[in-house]
Order: sequence, then structure tokens, then C-alpha cells
Amino acid sequence: MSLLEIKNVSKIYGNLHALDNVSLNVDAGEWVAIMGPSGSGKSTMMNIIGCMDKPSRGEVLLDGKDISKESAKRLTEIRRDKIGLIFQQFHLVNYLTAVENVMVAQYYHSLPDEKEALEALERVGLADRAKHLPSQLSGGEQQRVCIARALINHPELILADEPTGNLDEANEGIVLELFRLLHREGTTLIVVTHDPEVADVAQRTIVLDHGKLSREIVNENFHD
Amino acid sequence: MKKQNMFFRMITASLVRRRSRMLVALLAIAVGATILSGLVTIYYDVPRQMGEQFRNYGANMIFLGAADSEGLTPDAVERGLSYIDANKLVGVAPYRYETVNINEQPVVAAGTDLAGARATSPYWIVSGEWPAADGEVLVGEDIADVFDVKAGDTLSVSFTPATAEATTAAEGEDAQEETNGIEMTFTVSGTLDTGGSEENYIFISLADMEALTGESAAYDVVELSISATQNELNAIVDSVTENVSSVTPRLVKRVTQSETTVLSKLQSLVLLVTIVVLLLTMICVATTMMAVVTERRKEVGLRKALGASNGSITMEFMGEGMLLGAVGGLLGSILGFIFAQAVSMNVFNSSITFKPLLIPITILVSILVTGLACLIPVRSATDVDPALVLKGE
Ligand SMILES: Nc1ncnc2c1ncn2[C@@H]1O[C@H](COP(=O)(O)OP(=O)(O)OP(=O)(O)O)[C@@H](O)[C@H]1O
Ligand SMILES: [Mg+2]
Repeated sequence: MSLLEIKNVSKIYGNLHALDNVSLNVDAGEWVAIMGPSGSGKSTMMNIIGCMDKPSRGEVLLDGKDISKESAKRLTEIRRDKIGLIFQQFHLVNYLTAVENVMVAQYYHSLPDEKEALEALERVGLADRAKHLPSQLSGGEQQRVCIARALINHPELILADEPTGNLDEANEGIVLELFRLLHREGTTLIVVTHDPEVADVAQRTIVLDHGKLSREIVNENFHD
Repeated sequence: MKKQNMFFRMITASLVRRRSRMLVALLAIAVGATILSGLVTIYYDVPRQMGEQFRNYGANMIFLGAADSEGLTPDAVERGLSYIDANKLVGVAPYRYETVNINEQPVVAAGTDLAGARATSPYWIVSGEWPAADGEVLVGEDIADVFDVKAGDTLSVSFTPATAEATTAAEGEDAQEETNGIEMTFTVSGTLDTGGSEENYIFISLADMEALTGESAAYDVVELSISATQNELNAIVDSVTENVSSVTPRLVKRVTQSETTVLSKLQSLVLLVTIVVLLLTMICVATTMMAVVTERRKEVGLRKALGASNGSITMEFMGEGMLLGAVGGLLGSILGFIFAQAVSMNVFNSSITFKPLLIPITILVSILVTGLACLIPVRSATDVDPALVLKGE
């Protein structure tokens, strides 16, 4: 069953078609990579899937429900309940410690639980950095905090926009390993990347070009 | 963990770990609250202070001559004074008023013990010097204007006995020569500014008054400044009335009158300053919060991306602002008391009473003022679009 169904979606800025009649299905538990040159509409698509933006045309079904015409308030609720976000710039609240940053996501979702937040940090290998401020963490560590935060509420769908864009190879490896773990647990992953290595570990790669879906590559030798 | 705990943890972290930013706002609130609580303290304490000052040093009793008696002779006054504890007597000023002529114009001259007058009327402002010797005159501001004299000038004063003219009319020309007035020349030692009718008088020593009029008459009034409670004053009035038949003692409230006008002016000034200070504080807090919100647009976008509703964002910023207000208010109420105390010590030489109720009131007002100042900045925070903010930059 499809978790996400994108039907003939366009996003138009003036006379620029950031997305041009794109259709895509993502099954629950699937791991999809999105590639494409800069400006091809990858982030635009992620924003729409992530309920932070609305398409100009077309439908977006999440769990079978059309989210393309929901109010901003309702979109916030859907995002809070179903989606975990990971960004290229590791967006953390700079005056909160690692564990507090994870707890912020719990706070908006349901109830903050420090123990659970610490466990999430442990999963990403940062148990000993829980009381550090973002400025006291390396880029890789910050991104891992973001991942811990994205998975804390057990979202059905994790959206990652260039999660390894600012990381070295060692940290990239750690992040990909975490994705593999999440995938094994049944989380649906959509990962935007410029890096073929990151795309190669996904089950399927979608290539966007000028807002259009130009290619789709199924990874034959995908393994968990 | 409870939701409120996390809320409190976030807003305190924001204030504590982002010190430099919030310090500006905190300073504005603390200064505002200091001046506010300081001025309010002074507002309520000054009347008491000033009242004491006035009553301690101004004239608060007069002796008048009783009807059908020999009048206020020095001897009668002496007997009256014997009923007042010498330690409590701050000053005694006997006055004898006569109409004299300066440049053919009638002017009221007061003969008095000038040292005594100085003690009973400490609020008189003299430009120049108080008369130090006979032959010197203290001229009321209005008289000085009319005759255009100032300290150091000379003033010619003549006296014609009232009875002389009546006698002249009856007894013919010869008599006039005999009773023609005496003329004396005084040196103006200073001019007098009191804000009252004294500005229309000239003041000379009792000895000069005798020389000018050629006779020693009874006093018209004696002003006394007594350092005593209302009850003690009443007791003095009673015993003098009873024992000295020629003296009628009266308590006076003239100084209290001017005291209240000064006070009400002072209090409206304090009120005005308070309002201005509150407005300035609000503007400062609002601009700081505006800057804070702009600076934290990314964070707001992030929080929204994590599922924060506009309500949560508003609550968080308001919470921070109001916590800031509470801390600033507490600081201000303490500093304000110190400020008021310093003013009181410097101006009145006495300490003020501490009012515990002022602390919660100051804190509450600070919270309200910061809350109000945060309204507009916080509105702009809820307008942040998470998609734009997170796009990278
Ligand atoms: N708010 C906007 N207003 C106008 N044009 C926009 C807006 N957001 C995006 N665009 C345009 O839409 C196009 C797609 O942008 P998008 O951010 O989706 O690209 P991308 O594939 O994520 O690129 P990159 O790899 O550089 O991140 C770009 O040409 C961009 O300039
Ligand atoms: Mg992008």
C-alpha cells in the first residue's frame, strides 16, 4: 500500500515551474532517494511532502488523505504527528543542549520525556554528548542530534534534505548506517542527495530535472 | 516530564544562555522598575518627610495681644514664653508693624528681632545678606521692584505719627513743625523672596523701629517656632491662655498651606516622570524583543517545522518576555528602595519606611509592561514561514 501518492503535482513561482506535473508513489517502509541538479525542484518537493508548502496543482495523498488543500494549522498537526525532518544545515536550537533539542520535538508532539530522549541520543551514539550545546558539537554530531530528534516521535515518514551534504565520509557512514537501521524497523525514508553513494544505498532513486521526473532507477543489489 | 516543566526549561535556557541579548532588555526593565518603585516610594514618603521638616522649623504658633489688656509688651511675651520648654523653642520673632513713607509712598515696615525671624521662617530666600546691624534693612521683593533698590543701596524712610495730622488740623501751623516726621537712611542688606505677603514689607530691627517712630510700643504679633507634637502645642496654648491674661496664643497653619501646594506640584511631577519612564521602558523592551525575534526567525521556523502551533510560539516568546519582566521587576524593586533611600537621606536627612507591598506591585507592573511591549514583536514571530527559513541561506 502506498504511504505517499503524488499525483500530477506542479509548483509554480511566477512563470517558473519548480515542479512540473510530477507523479510519484512511495510505499510504506520504502527507502527512496531523490537526485537531480541544483534548482531541479528537490527541496520544493520535500517541502510539499513535509506539509510546509502547498502545490499549485495536483494532489498529495499521505496515508490516503489529500493534504494539498489543508489549512496551515492542519498541516502543522500532520507534520507533527507523521513526519520527521532532517535538514542539510543541522538546524538545532542553539541555546538548548543536545538532549533538550530532542525533547523540543517531544514537547510539540506529546510529552517531553528526558529518559526517552537520552535513549534516542544513545541510538545515534551521542549518549556522552547529551548535555552539550550545539556549539560544542561537531557537524557530524549535530546532524546525529537532528536524526535523534527526527525519530523520537516514531514518525511514519522521515524526510531528509541533503543529510550528509556537510559531513565527511566517516560521519556520512554513521548517518547511512542509522538510515539502514530505521529502514529495517519499517520507517519510510525519502532522502534528497547530490551524492551517488548516498543514493546507492536506497532501494530506488528518482531523478528530477527542471521540475520534471526524468529517470527512476531501482537498486538491484539493495540489501539491508 | 510535564509540559510546563519543559516550557520553563526552554524559556529559562533562552534567557540564561543567551545572556548578552536579553541583558539589554533586562537592564531597561530593571531601570524602569527602579525609577518606578523609587518614585512611588518617594511619592508616598515625601509628604511625611516634608511635613516634619516644616513643622520642625517653621513658625507654628503666634502670640496676639488679648483684647482690653496692656497688649503684647516685652514683659508679657516673656511671661508667655516661660510656659514653653526652652529646649523646644526653635525661634521667637516679635513683630511690630508701622506704616512708613518711602518717597512719599506708604509702605509697611516690620520691626523685628531679625535673628528670630530667620529662625521662625527658614524658608525665606534672601538675595544678599540678612541685616547684621542696626541701620540695615531687608526689603521685600515687591518693594525692591517698586523703588528699584538692591543689596548695597540706601533707602530713605520717614515716619509721620498718625496722631500728628489730626493735631495739626486742630491746633494750627505751629504744631506741624514740632511733630514733623523723623527721617532715617538705611542700607539695604538684601531683598526677600517668600512667595507671600512679606514681599510687600520692609524689615528693620526693633531698635531702629523705636528710633524711627520715637516710641517703644507693644508688639503686634509674636511668631514662635516650637519643636513639639500637636498635643504639646495644645497644652502650651492652654497654659498660656490661662496664666498670661494679656497674651492670646494661637496655633498657625499657614506653612502647612504652602506645604500642600508644593507637595501636590511635586507629586504631579513624580506622576508625569513615572508615565514617561514606563513608556520609555516599553519602547526599549519592544525594540529589543523585535530584534530578538528577527534574530531568531530561523529558530521559529525550526520550531514550526517540528510542529509548533502559532499559539505555542506566542506562549514561548511571551513567557520569555514576562519572565524577564519578573526578574527585572524584582531587581528594580530592590534598587528602587535603595534609590529612594539615597534621595531621602540626601534631601531630608532621614530614612524612609520600607513598604513590602511595593515589591509584588513593582513585579506585577513590570510583567504587564513587558507583556504589552512583547505583543507586536511576538505577532511578527508567528508570521514566520518554516519552508522559507529552512531553505538554507
Ligand atoms: N519561494 C520561491 N520563490 C520563487 N522561486 C523559488 C522559491 N523557492 C524555490 N524557487 C525556485 O524553484 C526552483 C527549485 O528550487 P529547489 O529549492 O526545489 O531546488 P533544489 O533542487 O532543492 O536545488 P538545490 O540542490 O540547490 O538545493 C529553483 O529555481 C528556485 O529558484
Ligand atoms: Mg535543495
